[in-house]
Parts: sequence; structure tokens; C-alpha cells
Amino acid sequence: MAWLLASVSSLIAQASDLEGQVSLDSQVLSEIFYFYTVVVMWLIHVGFMAYEAGAARRKNIMSTAMKNILTIAVVTPSFYYFGWYIYGCFEHGGPAEGHAGPSEVPGFCGLTAPWSSGMGPNLADHLSAVFFLAFLLFSWTTGSIMSGALIERVRLSAYLILTTLLGSAVWIMDAAWGWSSGGWLTTNYGFHDSIASLVVHGVAGAFALGVLVNLGPRIGKYDREGRARTFRGHNTHLTLMGLMLIFTGFYGFYAACLFITSTSFPGWLNIYGSFTTLGAIAWVITFGFAGGFTGGWFASKGDPFWTLSGGLAGVISVSAGADVYHPSLAYLLSTSGGMLAVWSGTWIEKKLRVDDAVGAVAVHGVCGFYGVFLVGIFAGGFPTGLNNVESSFGGQLIGMLAFFPLAFLPGYIVSWILKYFNLLRVPPEVELEGLDMAEFQQDFFPEFERVPETIVLPTGEEVESAPILLDAFTQVNGHRAGVRVREERRMR
Amino acid sequence: MIDSFPFDEFSENLTSFWTFGPEDSTGTYILTALGVILMVVALIGWVWLENRKLWAQAELLRAAGGMPAPGGVPPGPGPSQPPLAGPATDPGD
Repeated sequence: MAWLLASVSSLIAQASDLEGQVSLDSQVLSEIFYFYTVVVMWLIHVGFMAYEAGAARRKNIMSTAMKNILTIAVVTPSFYYFGWYIYGCFEHGGPAEGHAGPSEVPGFCGLTAPWSSGMGPNLADHLSAVFFLAFLLFSWTTGSIMSGALIERVRLSAYLILTTLLGSAVWIMDAAWGWSSGGWLTTNYGFHDSIASLVVHGVAGAFALGVLVNLGPRIGKYDREGRARTFRGHNTHLTLMGLMLIFTGFYGFYAACLFITSTSFPGWLNIYGSFTTLGAIAWVITFGFAGGFTGGWFASKGDPFWTLSGGLAGVISVSAGADVYHPSLAYLLSTSGGMLAVWSGTWIEKKLRVDDAVGAVAVHGVCGFYGVFLVGIFAGGFPTGLNNVESSFGGQLIGMLAFFPLAFLPGYIVSWILKYFNLLRVPPEVELEGLDMAEFQQDFFPEFERVPETIVLPTGEEVESAPILLDAFTQVNGHRAGVRVREERRMR
Repeated sequence: MIDSFPFDEFSENLTSFWTFGPEDSTGTYILTALGVILMVVALIGWVWLENRKLWAQAELLRAAGGMPAPGGVPPGPGPSQPPLAGPATDPGD
């Protein structure tokens, strides 16, 4: 009898050890997984840099690329010091109660303050750091989305201020509200945006729109009748390669939006805590590209830039429901998304007369909102989150109504303040000459002969740009004379 | 004197001050504050430095007595200013 008891006791001890080992293995598996999603997501930023630099004219290449690089320099510390805390503690709209010290705040919120045990070396915590890093990469992405829209006339420093605000406060606030299992939009309305159509892309697009209103178009973009001209990017191949790198990085982005629960079926949870699989979302993203390319190609009549941008728009259009959509549904919806991006981009440029240099507002903003809208139609009734609150068209609409002003207004207000102090846009002389010469005092293709810069007229005719830009410069310079005098006085 | 100095204790205190740990979080608060200050100062520095660069270049261009060529290079030392109009130079020249 004593022998039997000893054996049972030994078995229980071994089972307990095994359970502890499985739990540790599960945590380390998650740690490794998220670490490598971060590595893959770096490609998004390599891609954004190439994409935007290719779309810039030769005279603005490095000033364009430098924005993407320095996004990392400003968003990383600001997200560490403020952004992650907002995500952890603002789920109910405002900060959680009991903030006398981090040790007094229980749960995830208590691990997000920069001095807490979740934000530094901690042998007992394998997850906090990698979750933070994955979200940090999402934050860089929001900044890079805005970056492309503003190129060739925004000041680098103005962009850095704006991207700090967007990447470390605005988007992460909406993520706390509608992209977490405890967010008020999730728990009250079943808001469903599983792979961040709106919370990353739509919000960044709306913020960029607010900035563009104050920033104004590039010199010469519109003629005296308000018709749009087109600037030729210096290297479309580089732009397309950049987009392909972004697409590669998106697989890491999608994967990082899931949680591993290796001890329970089916092993994966979306950001709200609902079951899904990695394969399901990989299906949707791949069909999203297929449909988006198709839609972009036909809507733009085969334009290479819009065909690839259509792929991005297609994926963004189906991201919100990526955990529940059938691949065929994703194919159909993403085709419509690719078309919508082309049409809305043309409308924004020609009718709204907003100069978005890469179509970011259309691709990310419009299609981000469209993606959440589609979930309300095609996945209404699907249970969202730990409490299985049904997603609905009304819930999706409330999310859209909450997030548009949350994104647009900060972008508009802060860019207005920067504009008031003449810190938003480069001087017109510098814009005409090219930003690289003022910022870096050099041409970045020193061994290649310059040829006259060209511009495409509203009629489609491509002509030399110099007379047109000089004429437009004269108009702009007249309008800005007062600003310049004030600035010169201040400098003296 | 040197022999009697409590190196081990000093080292442990220093370590607990500047690294994460349950014993002393003062160092962590100080590092956080320093990091925030560096972040803010860097942002201000970017604004200040770029403002100087941009206005200096704009002044240079205005002082040259003409409007800059779109995509051109500034007058003064360095490559010559390309013409605003006329045939492009043959790369083979």
C-alpha cells in the first residue's frame, strides 16, 4: 500500500513538473514567434522607404527616405514611454483608476508603465517585451503610412512631431478602445477589426488627411483652373519593389496580430481572444493581394503604380474580417477594395484637390474604413471577444464614427499649429530647388547627368516642368510673402 | 583604506540602483526621466536645426538674384547650375 502511495505521489510530482515545462515551452514558443514577426515586419519599413523614395523626384530622394528612417528614432522612445501605457490602461476611454504607482494597478495595465516589471529585463516574463515590440512595429507603420502622403514639401522635423503623435498616442488610443479584448468598443458593441483595417490603416489615413489640408499641394500640382498635374517619380521600379517588400512584411504583421495558445484547440486567438487559425488569415491576405491587384489593374486601366497599390488596398479591405472570411469572399471583396482605392484616389486628387503624393488617404484611409464597414455587412452576428458580443453593422458604424475624429482632429490641429509658426512646410525656394540640397547639401546621384525635370499636364501631355513650376512658384511666393517677412524678422 | 572599502556591497548597491529589480526602483525612475528628456530635446533639436538649414538655403537662393531651377543645384561652389531650358547635355559628352 505504501509502495502504491509513493508511486502515485511520484506520478503527481512528475505531472506537475511536466505541466510547468509545457507552460514554459508555450511561453518561449510565443516569444520566439513574436520575435520573428518583428524581424519580418521590418520589411514593411524597408518597403515604405523604397516605395516613397521611388515616388519622389530626384531632388527629394534622401529627404523622403530620411523620414522613414527617423520614424524609428522618434516613435520607439515615445511609444515606450507613453504609447504602450495608453494601450494598457485606456481601454475604457480614459486612464484606469488606481495609478498612485504601477504596483497598484493590476493586470496588463500594471505592466505597461515604463518603470514596471513588464518593461525591462525580467526572467519570469517571456511575453511582455515581444508584445511591446510587435506593437511598436505597428506604430512605425502608422507613421510610414502618413509619411508618403506628405513628401516633397513637408519639413522633416514637422513630420517627426506629427508621427510621434500618430504613432505613440493617436493610433494606440484607438487600439485600446477597439483592438483589445477589454476595449469599450469591443465589450459594448462587438467592434470587430481583427487585423487592423481601421485601427492602423484607416486611422493613419484620416490623420494624414487632416495634415494634408493644412500642408497644401506641392508647387505646380494644380494649374490656375485647379486641374491636377502629375509629377513623375524618379524610379517607379523602386516604388514597385518597395510595395512588394511591404507585402512580404504584411505576413509578419498579420501573424503578429494573433496570440498563440498552444495548450488549447485550435491554438490561435485573434486580438479579441476569439479562436482562429494562422492558415485562415494567411488565406485571406493572399487572396486579398490577388483581388486587389485585379481590381487595381482594371480600375486604373493597367497603371503599374495603382495595380500594386490596389493589392495593398485589397488586403486592407479584408483585414478586418480576415479571421472569419472565406477565401472566395476575400477575393471578391478585395477586388472591390482595389477598385475603390483607384477611384477614391482619383477623386481626392482631382475633385477634393488634396495632393496626396502616393494615394495613402485612398489606399489606407478609405479602404481601412471600408474594411470595417464590410465586416458589418458580411460578418454581422459573428461573436467577438471573450464575452462573445455579436459584431453588427451598428457596432462597426460606431467604431468608424469614434475613430474618424479621433484621428483627423489631432492631425489637423497640430499641423495647423505648426503651420501657424511656419514650421510645417519648407520655404518655397527650397521646395522648387529640391529638399535634398537644403537638408543634405548634395545630389544623391552625383555621377548621373541631370536632365530637365518633366511634368504631366491635365491633358496627359508630358512637358518640361521648369516654366510651369516657376510660374506656380511666383504665385505661391506672392501668397507667402507675409509669412516670409515675419520669419526673417524672427531670425534676425 | 583600499582593502577596507566594501567593493562588493558598493557594486551590489550600484547594480540594484541602475537595473531592474525589486530592491530599488529609484534608478529606473531616473533613467525614465532622462530618456524622456532626451526624446524631447532631440525633437526640439530637429526643429531648430532644420529651420536654420532651410532658411539659410532659402537666403542663399534669394541672394543669388534669381529663382532656383527646379531640381537644380544652388549657385556657388559645387556643380554648375543646369539651364532652365534648352537641350539636355549629352551624357556621352
